[in-house]
Amino acid sequence: MKSTPVRNGINAGIVFGILVIFSSLTGFTLTATKMIGNAVNTMKLMKTTGAMAWVNLVIFVILLGFFAGWMAAKRRDPDKISDALISGLVAGVIAGIIAAAYAFLIGSLDAAKVNLRNYLPYMSKDAIKQFLFLKKNDLITPALMHFGYTIGGSLLGAMFARWIVRGKWRLNINQKFVEGSTSLASLPWVVNLRNSAYFRYIALGLVFLALFFIPRSLSSYWNYIIGLVGIYVLMGLGLNIIVGYSGQLVLGYVAFFAMGAYSFALLTAPEPHHIMLTFWQALPLSVLLAALTGVLLGLPLLNLRGDYLAIVTLGFGEIIRILLKSDILAFFTGGPKGLRQLAQPKLFGKPFHGDVEYVYLITLAVILVIFVTQRLKNSHSGRGWESIREDQTVSQAMGVNTYSSKLLALAIGAGFAGLAGALFASRNLFTGPEDHVLMVSINVLCLVIVGGMGSIPGVILGAFVLKGLPELLRDLELYRMLAFGALLVVMMIIRPEGLWPSSRPKLENQFLEINNSPQPTGESGEKAG
Amino acid sequence: MENILETHRVSKFFGGLTAVDTVDLQVPEKNITSIIGPNGAGKTTFFNCVSGFYSPEEGDIIFMGKPIQGLPTNEIARRHISRTYQNIRLFGNMTALENILVGEHPRMQSNWLEAIVGTPRFRNDEKNGLAEAMRLLKFVGLEGLGDSLARNLPYGAQRRLEIARALGNGPKLLLLDEPTAGMNPQETEEMTLFIRSLRDQLGITIILIEHDMQVVMGISDQIAVLDYGKKIAEGTPAEIQSNERVIEAYLGPGADKLSEKFRRKKKSHEPQNA
Repeated sequence: MKSTPVRNGINAGIVFGILVIFSSLTGFTLTATKMIGNAVNTMKLMKTTGAMAWVNLVIFVILLGFFAGWMAAKRRDPDKISDALISGLVAGVIAGIIAAAYAFLIGSLDAAKVNLRNYLPYMSKDAIKQFLFLKKNDLITPALMHFGYTIGGSLLGAMFARWIVRGKWRLNINQKFVEGSTSLASLPWVVNLRNSAYFRYIALGLVFLALFFIPRSLSSYWNYIIGLVGIYVLMGLGLNIIVGYSGQLVLGYVAFFAMGAYSFALLTAPEPHHIMLTFWQALPLSVLLAALTGVLLGLPLLNLRGDYLAIVTLGFGEIIRILLKSDILAFFTGGPKGLRQLAQPKLFGKPFHGDVEYVYLITLAVILVIFVTQRLKNSHSGRGWESIREDQTVSQAMGVNTYSSKLLALAIGAGFAGLAGALFASRNLFTGPEDHVLMVSINVLCLVIVGGMGSIPGVILGAFVLKGLPELLRDLELYRMLAFGALLVVMMIIRPEGLWPSSRPKLENQFLEINNSPQPTGESGEKAG
Repeated sequence: MENILETHRVSKFFGGLTAVDTVDLQVPEKNITSIIGPNGAGKTTFFNCVSGFYSPEEGDIIFMGKPIQGLPTNEIARRHISRTYQNIRLFGNMTALENILVGEHPRMQSNWLEAIVGTPRFRNDEKNGLAEAMRLLKFVGLEGLGDSLARNLPYGAQRRLEIARALGNGPKLLLLDEPTAGMNPQETEEMTLFIRSLRDQLGITIILIEHDMQVVMGISDQIAVLDYGKKIAEGTPAEIQSNERVIEAYLGPGADKLSEKFRRKKKSHEPQNA
């Protein structure tokens, strides 16, 4: 099949025509127009509420048309303006006809007093009215408006696509960025700066200052979200050691989170045991207990490989949650109603309770965990883990004690989860069985995979994307999870190795830099000369 | 010369199949020993027994005077026995240098807690380990490729890297499983020289499985021939070449008469074709 401007236009037009109908049927049009209305009103360009609400739909239709035109024209030769315009026009006409026909149809059905809601739950009177640009007793005008605005948007989109391709903007941005950064990095003063200890301290100081001041300037809600993200970062870094480095697929990771949270809760809550340790006493204990759980779980299980390990640990996670929930153990764990009045930290006599303070605390924990991970990663323990991930049999034949190595990975990963659990419980002043559901394990695994397995910045980014983005998408209401899922799918197609894939250490470079750097005595330099 | 490795009546069974059948082998120090035999003769199984992948059901494997049969592979690596694999088994997503560093694992003395704290012993481990890995990288002729991922290296380089990784633990005995498989004649020639240099320069005892008879006859001090798990012959290259049982094992019974038979068959076909 030869791709001609007309064919491209027809394809894009049909796709976007169907998209118009689909979004109207699922009620997305109504939600989207509301969001557009909010955005327009906050920008204060004009007021699009009440009688002017139809403008929002106009913007929505133009946007859809814009994308149709873009999709249709982006593969055309950018030097032929006629091609782009033809494909844009065809796409607009096709999508416009479909949209207009649909508008005419629902308009006439509505006029005939058919209650569409009986069949289609999202086709309320409001939605229909909205889709017809608030016009009453008039079917032709809305249809023509749909048709016209779609074509307009499509032509704009086609021109935009042409402009982008012509500017080679899309192709070049990545390359330019890489070139720019490498040439910048090789400038002598940049190299000097990078190697200077002062610069590193100053940069580190600036980061710390930012970490200190940013939470103060944000609202309590955002600090709550950042704290949550931080807790997921902790768990992600822990699971990253187990799954990303040592390659053991553990699906019941939430069990260690629960162990940390419950150890902390039982040690500090007045009920049911009244041990009443302080925060700083209970925190290390809960980390240790969680790590111990990891070891105890690992002892019998780590001889299993791959799928078997995944299934067994999945079961383990569920067993822990059900035990916590059960009435039999209620005397010990508090049962389904959970544990309340947990300890919060005090530092120099000053109690911590706000979300800002917890953000600081969690940030400190994250820094500590990153430090430990980084150190282990660049040691023979870390290389042992990675060799196990690559090929366990060979790894053992190279002298790695795979059993104890995997056990160590599980213990450390579990310890990190325990730390996260204790902080989480303390921040909420409460923990119960419903904090420790399977979804937590899945979320953490997802953020490790989305971020990039074995990559510390990847895990952090993954946590922000997975736990932070749903908050940013809150405006989408019930489409939030749909949009989020779609984003994940798109991302895994575009970047299967994760958002920020792990990079290998450049040991040879490092070695040569250390050993060939010009020394004041000049001995090695003379030899080279 | 002292024997560095001795196996006494080593047997390995898989269900009803006897993969290795009462094999005795003496390997003198700094010797190159080849194990040859038809496909399925039990050569790799024998290797697996020596390197700890399998634990033999019967017999003893004595390495430097101590029995090692049944020990886990990591323990055997600690005792300075290394091996390579028939189908290259590198850690593909790690760099070449990291592969060698994993091979040096038995040398590392510090533990994970020291790694977190960053004690001097840990830093020494890392520094010496890296220097040794660089030396090995150079020795196998891969300098400049240390930071590339193992799976991106060309085939010949991967074979060399696998040997470098095996050298990481400072082996006294190196088991090479078909080191020239899939190589062209020139690469095979280079590999042969390289294997000899391992013995001559590093003083390593080498046992290799090889199908290329030119390589085997060229570098071996002694050759052992396996067939159906049994050792059917042992000796210098010259002895093996003239051994009737070996010829029989490779070409089937009555191999010397085979060519005559073939000639007769061809003759009987000719009139029909004409």
